[in-house]
Amino acid sequence: MDNKLTQYFKRISKKTESYLILFLIFYILLMSFVSDSFLTLINFFDLGKNASGMAILALGAFVVLLSGGIDLSFTAIAVSGQYISAKILLSVGVDNLLFAFALSCSIGIFLGFINGYLISRFKLQTLITTLGTLSVFHGALLTIFGTAPINASQLPQCIIEFGKATIFRIVREDGSSYGLSVFVLFVIGVVILTWFILRFTMLGRGIYVIGGNEEAARRTGFNVDSIKLFIYSYVGFLAGIMGVINGALIRFIDPTEIVGREINVIAAVVLGGASITGGKGSILGTLLGVFIISILNDNLVLIGLSSFWQRFFVGVIILAGAILTAVQSEEKKLIR
Amino acid sequence: MKYGVLKNIYQENRTLIFLLTTVFVLLSIFLPSRFLSLLNFQSMATQIPEFGLLATGVMLAMLMGGIDLSVVSIANLSGIIAALIMTRLIPENALGGQIGFFVFTAIIAALGAAILCGLINGVIVGYLRVNPIITTIGTMSLFMGVGIIITSSRGIIGFPDAFLFIGNGYVLIFPFPLIIFVAMMFFVTIILNRTKFGMHARMIGTNQRAAYFANINVRLSFVKVYLLSGFLSGISSLIMISRVNSAKSGYGESYLLETILVVILGGIDPRGGYGKISGLIIALITLQFLKSGSNILNFTPFIKNIISGSLLVIVMIINSISANRISKSEMKKRQQKAAGIIR
Repeated sequence: MDNKLTQYFKRISKKTESYLILFLIFYILLMSFVSDSFLTLINFFDLGKNASGMAILALGAFVVLLSGGIDLSFTAIAVSGQYISAKILLSVGVDNLLFAFALSCSIGIFLGFINGYLISRFKLQTLITTLGTLSVFHGALLTIFGTAPINASQLPQCIIEFGKATIFRIVREDGSSYGLSVFVLFVIGVVILTWFILRFTMLGRGIYVIGGNEEAARRTGFNVDSIKLFIYSYVGFLAGIMGVINGALIRFIDPTEIVGREINVIAAVVLGGASITGGKGSILGTLLGVFIISILNDNLVLIGLSSFWQRFFVGVIILAGAILTAVQSEEKKLIR
Repeated sequence: MKYGVLKNIYQENRTLIFLLTTVFVLLSIFLPSRFLSLLNFQSMATQIPEFGLLATGVMLAMLMGGIDLSVVSIANLSGIIAALIMTRLIPENALGGQIGFFVFTAIIAALGAAILCGLINGVIVGYLRVNPIITTIGTMSLFMGVGIIITSSRGIIGFPDAFLFIGNGYVLIFPFPLIIFVAMMFFVTIILNRTKFGMHARMIGTNQRAAYFANINVRLSFVKVYLLSGFLSGISSLIMISRVNSAKSGYGESYLLETILVVILGGIDPRGGYGKISGLIIALITLQFLKSGSNILNFTPFIKNIISGSLLVIVMIINSISANRISKSEMKKRQQKAAGIIR
């Protein structure tokens, strides 16, 4: 009995997720001492709403890292999907949320497909390719569609409504109410979809195998090229969803926004235990990573630090996550 | 003897030299008065060293199979440190000698900070065995973050005249940054071609595991390469802040794409092991011609982004196709040879 328990703890201590959960509990306890408003339902509902866009992007970035690649261009894809779909909605005069999502996602899939095609067809380095396409996509968006932001008064009504919609509401004693945003449903949907693909389909197994050893994947008969096409298109698809959600969240669509945030997303994924050498990491870890990063960024001021510390913390988080993962993996020690 | 070296350089970079001449001829034909002037060439020669030194740092890391995405942040941070020393510490009515002392201290402090940043990169990649991409993405944010914190994101302006010479001075008709750059390129070439470390770097880049079994200290070599890359970023930062007479956190972030573009254009293999300084220099000049042309034509920064981004992808595609073709023809030769032996 005792032996089993120690074994259980040994196994758990090897998981990044358990450290993340410990850190979260510690941080939440600390914050609830510092501020009374921290440990309230409304604060956590807000947190969930604000973090959902990042969570969706992070799941995409996670799938790419799992396959041993890295994608930097998804922010440019998200902003393209967001801005172009809003512009089309306004110029056509259609006020339909489904249409907005369909447009944004298809733009996302198209741009992601370009990434995937370049990477799989010509066997290019993922980092350098997506660094290039990041500036091509964003530069093209700003050149073709202009730089004028769309503010709340011009925005299609459906997007504004979508930003306000909640799953359920809690009415306070004074009559005002607050609720959990529908954005969270999208995160849950994407989590289930990604989990299903990775866990139950041959495609998902392929992603893991490519991450472990691409040549081995090819020789065992996986169609590596089309799996890569899928991976990058999937990232584009998720970026398209995130674009609309982000527009609804801040009720303002600025084509120069979002780009530049890719490092935060990658920080979250790396903190979650995913390694760029591929084949490692979990969805739970990724979500925990996103949660920790958003909680840290939101509450910097509460612990007495100015927002100037944000960039610094992102760096620390990436390094801490990566070092933790590297130190844990024992097999790599053999190489050098 | 000298002719032989030039011939070698020509043979190694035939495509690049062709591209360089094409760009040069096209710009000379279409923008003769503004492109072909001494002033334009002098201004190009002051711009090349800044990102040329950063690109050299990226190249060295790439040669070893790594990458250094933090060069711009290192340059930023060390520039800020030098700027703080020169603006905060020099007393109001300092004498010439005193100012000289503080300028010297600022330079040493900037280079020291840059080397320290390189050391952090090197230890994390070499000894903690974290992937170079992730490491330098992390330190990129970290170093930039430190710069933002110590300046509260404000710019620092106004340096002593003695310091401004580094970025704006001329020796005869040659801008001083160009002279620093040429000296640094000689330094790096000697390290790569004439020292044991240079050879080890290429071997590690080709096959890390084999290098390890050949008794090369892989970990220490990674530390050395990132130290060198940090040092070059430090030199670049001095030129950068001296040229614009100010330092601000976040300055030069667009250089990241350009440095990687130049390195890839220069024929350095992103998988490691192969790359020549001569290729890098020709690529630098080519890119500077293009930049100068697009400045004269008044392109928006967005169009410039499209150009550099697509150029990067196109060069990668061409490299990949030609590498594929070479390996196929090589394979054919080997097969024929093998068939001959069997017969």
